[in-house]
Amino acid sequence: MSTDAPAPVPPHHVSGPAPWAGRDRLRGALRPRATRGQLIAAVLCGMLGFAAAVQVRANQDSDLAGLRQTDLVRILDDVTERSARLQAEARDLEAARAEVTDDTNGSRAALEEARARVRTLGILAGTVPATGPGIEFTISDPKGEVQADLLLDALQELRDAGAEAVEISTPDGPRVRVVASTHLVDVDGGGAVEVDEKAIEAPYQFLVIGAARTLAAALDIPGGVLDVLRQRDASGQVTQRSEITISSLQPASAPEYARPAPEDGDDDNGGG
Amino acid sequence: MIAAIGLVVGIIAGLFLEPTVPQWLQPYLPIAVVAALDAVFGGLRSLLDGIFDDKVFVVSFVANVLVAALIVYLGDQLGVGSQLSTGVVVVLGIRIFSNAAAIRRHLFRA
Repeated sequence: MSTDAPAPVPPHHVSGPAPWAGRDRLRGALRPRATRGQLIAAVLCGMLGFAAAVQVRANQDSDLAGLRQTDLVRILDDVTERSARLQAEARDLEAARAEVTDDTNGSRAALEEARARVRTLGILAGTVPATGPGIEFTISDPKGEVQADLLLDALQELRDAGAEAVEISTPDGPRVRVVASTHLVDVDGGGAVEVDEKAIEAPYQFLVIGAARTLAAALDIPGGVLDVLRQRDASGQVTQRSEITISSLQPASAPEYARPAPEDGDDDNGGG
Repeated sequence: MIAAIGLVVGIIAGLFLEPTVPQWLQPYLPIAVVAALDAVFGGLRSLLDGIFDDKVFVVSFVANVLVAALIVYLGDQLGVGSQLSTGVVVVLGIRIFSNAAAIRRHLFRA
């Protein structure tokens, strides 16, 4: 410090004690002297440094080891609760997944069943082609004596014998699939029959799917269709085949008046 | 000077000896370190003030550490150990800051 300066020093320099006394004292303290105070301070500072280093290292080593018991218990509680919550969530999701899988399987089975029903009903309604064993039954009518009633008799006989799909046709002519609504009408002059508004001329050819032997036997009984044909100067020829394919179709039309009736019988069936 | 050398020697010893902290000491060691740090800053300030006394330094150092550990122990017994530890650290931190401010004024006059 310039003590010989005559100029007045700024006020803040005079207000304090000696301006750089602190630095002087620090410089004095830094001078190595083996006094008791220095040694004690060194020992205590060494303990501080040692403890701080140990603590820092212990803190780095593990997160949980340095925690007190209450904290550990709280963390354990948290973790347990969280795990329970997650397990409950997992259970819910698994149940949902099982439900969805069941639903999918159920709807797939229902769809398969519905398809099978459609196939079955399609054969009955004549909306799908049918194939299987059966007979080919040809009625030759050179004199025009065969009329609708005889064809209807033959049809009924075949149905009675278990015919599952029937087609009436004439060679190189229209083919008509016979279904529940099929009707047969006489044509004036004979020699032809109108089946579902299509004129079928003799010879009449039946394609029938069913048990071939049973169908053939049903036509051949005494007083049956073949007998009657012989009486009217016509003739019928039955050929059993292992595979007959009926490809003519009936249009599927929705009923205009009939509606499915409510199923009242369910309770009766269930209750016995 | 010797004190600074002691500090460095202590840190090096702690880093290289790698002692494991005993289980009973684990909650108290960090608080004790902060309390000792406060005592050291207080001693440095008194040195710059010109009123440093080795006996006072030793007593304040030991008392700081003991009181801090006692408060933490009491807090653990009462079930508010972590909160009380936080409080002790906050108080000691404020003291360290004020001491550091006084030291700074001595050294840099600012």
